[in-house]
Amino acid sequence: MQSELKVSGRVAQYQNLLQLIGESTTGTARDGLPLKASHARSIVNCHRLAEAYKEQSRVAFITEQFPTELTFAFEALPWNIESMSTMLAQSLDVDRIFQLTQERSVSRDLCSFLRGPYGMMLADCYPRPDVVLTNDQPCEGLAKVIYWSGQRYNVPVIPLHTPNTCDEGSVQYVAKQLQRVMSDLERVFGVQLNPDSLRASVHWSNEARLYYNKTINILRQHKLPGVSRELQEIFGMNYFGARQNVQVCKALYEEAVELTNAEPVKATRVLWIGQVPEESHEVLRHMGKNVEILYWAPLWHANSIVLDEDNPFRSMAERAIQYHWNAERMGADLERICDDFAVDAFFIASVWGCRNMMGLSPMIRDIAIRRKLKYLIINIDLVDRNNYAFNHVKNRVDAFLELVQ
Amino acid sequence: MNREQAISNAAQGVIDIHRNRFDLWRAARGPKAGYLSIDTPEEILLAAGVVPFRMTGESESDTIDACARLSTNYCSYVLSCLGEGLASVYDFADVVIFTDSCDMRKRLAETWTRELKTTAYFVDLPNDASNISKEYFTERLRKLIEFLERRYRCTITDDALRRAIALCSTSRKLIRRMYEYKKRDIQMLTGMEYVEVVKAATTGLKEIFNERMIPLLEALEAAVPTAGPKRPRVMISGSYFDHAGIIEVIEKAGADLVCEDISNGIKYCEGQIEPDGDPVAAIASYYLERNTSARRLEASLRVRHMLDLMREYRAGSLIYYALKFCDTNLHDYPYVLQRFKDEKIPVLFLESERNGGNIEGAKTRIQTFIESRMF
Repeated sequence: MQSELKVSGRVAQYQNLLQLIGESTTGTARDGLPLKASHARSIVNCHRLAEAYKEQSRVAFITEQFPTELTFAFEALPWNIESMSTMLAQSLDVDRIFQLTQERSVSRDLCSFLRGPYGMMLADCYPRPDVVLTNDQPCEGLAKVIYWSGQRYNVPVIPLHTPNTCDEGSVQYVAKQLQRVMSDLERVFGVQLNPDSLRASVHWSNEARLYYNKTINILRQHKLPGVSRELQEIFGMNYFGARQNVQVCKALYEEAVELTNAEPVKATRVLWIGQVPEESHEVLRHMGKNVEILYWAPLWHANSIVLDEDNPFRSMAERAIQYHWNAERMGADLERICDDFAVDAFFIASVWGCRNMMGLSPMIRDIAIRRKLKYLIINIDLVDRNNYAFNHVKNRVDAFLELVQ
Repeated sequence: MNREQAISNAAQGVIDIHRNRFDLWRAARGPKAGYLSIDTPEEILLAAGVVPFRMTGESESDTIDACARLSTNYCSYVLSCLGEGLASVYDFADVVIFTDSCDMRKRLAETWTRELKTTAYFVDLPNDASNISKEYFTERLRKLIEFLERRYRCTITDDALRRAIALCSTSRKLIRRMYEYKKRDIQMLTGMEYVEVVKAATTGLKEIFNERMIPLLEALEAAVPTAGPKRPRVMISGSYFDHAGIIEVIEKAGADLVCEDISNGIKYCEGQIEPDGDPVAAIASYYLERNTSARRLEASLRVRHMLDLMREYRAGSLIYYALKFCDTNLHDYPYVLQRFKDEKIPVLFLESERNGGNIEGAKTRIQTFIESRMF
């Protein structure tokens, strides 16, 4: 099928990754890690990266907001193909990655957040998965890419479909699929699920969520530099179900409490809506000097759903549907976020190739107009520099910043 | 009247259903329901006494307003359908049914709900055909039935559903029979005429369609295989497609378009609904099993189906057509290309807009591709 594509051992795949990083030509300047909690997260990230490349590790490819509690119940490391690519884009030569995708006839009109992982797999830089868990959250494109990864590595693909409608029938449908995923994973790993392992991973997930949501609550009253970004990182990392993630979330919460004692920040609060680039990205750095950036996705209602530790499938199903992109639900949730967090303006990042964000932008614009909030919709590519130049957007960003301050 | 003339006249009789559809819809009894995807269960709408018609986006090439409400970087079929809605082209329709056929159509359904007066109804559609998915889709269809019963104060009985299934199955069977002639080298109709016949079937005017298909098939039955040197046999697959200019270029370059593996082609009429048992479950099962479009998660299943069609129709090469920004088809393309390369089948990738008038660039590529198949 993908016969001419090489699949190396994990040690060699790790070497491939190091080679790409070593050849990096982007040389992005980094501001350093602003929070102590970021160090805790970095340590967990380094650890999981190192573990995933060990031959004996169980690795499951997943997509955004996949219920990772399920993989931890099987002691399998979830490898979020999209966020890993975004994270690694900070330090490696993404142009080379995109070149590989173009050589394979992958259209440049597709979202660069999807072409990134595609290229990483073509470069044989990701650890070979034992199983691929597909999900159409947040988009069908991601489901397509991750399905292809199953073909590329010739490993089992276990699908999960999330419907758009949120009602009892849909919740039951997803819950049944989740139960089937567990049976399929038993077959893939050749072990029976230990109910205590699932209970434990759900428990760690809830405990981490508790600290995560307490941190979010602090942001309702306080403008704390770096905290929203750290929440975004935790959201994107999607490591819920791992015990270490509790420590990451707790460290952030404790630091956020400490920060509330510092001199209050008076910056205008801008809600960043849409995909988020890596933290050293020039648009972020430029905006960060002028306003406080609050990230949208970590504040979504779905993040606050507590899982049932004894029978988690139903609550996981409900959470999966709530995460699914839907204009009506997202609009209502956005109104709540505006009320709760005293948002002053919207920065709507409409990433080239993200049809969902493009299609939702007019609805978000309407909310901004109704609430008399300043907004900027900007077409941008946050990963592929062939589609974007900072100078082209800087004028508009500056005009927006002048308006909101 | 000679044989060719008889076939042409009979074909025109069918195609006229599509060409005169607006007049025919206005004259037809019962409420009208628009839809975009061939995954929409027409049987249920017909059983409710509704005329289900496919929106083609043909009436509105100006998509400026639609772009403002969705995005300029959107599939032009989706944009032109929204353009039609904004231009009140379908004001006579009572409802528009959307299925979860792709992310852009999902966003279109939401935009339609916000911006337009015509009621929109959304049907979730699983992207595989597992038992869990079939059970869920059956339940979704029952919800659609409840919606229609409430809206039209009617009861959709199992008998009414079976009658509608029989009506639609007849239409599909007739189109499949028409496609049989392509396999037998009887190329009496152009590729565009095939597309327009299928479009006529999706107007929802099933009785008229079935009636007019009979003389066409009788005329084709009397035809003999086309004489002369063998022409390259080409199959087309991909996005929503009805581009007369592209078909014309293919045929004028000396090839026969032997299979249209698209929603306006063979995809519409494949398979059959099992008439026994629970009709709603049978409809749900049919639509999920039939789906071999890019919407389906399992691209491998789609490619297997494409290769089967290539063999069935003895096609020697493939034109893979993607509308600009049609993500699902763009995502599948590298995989399709690789699998076809493995089978040593040449593939031409074509990308264009729904209403793209200037096809000179594509023309050169198509001609080169076809000529390379000739010698």
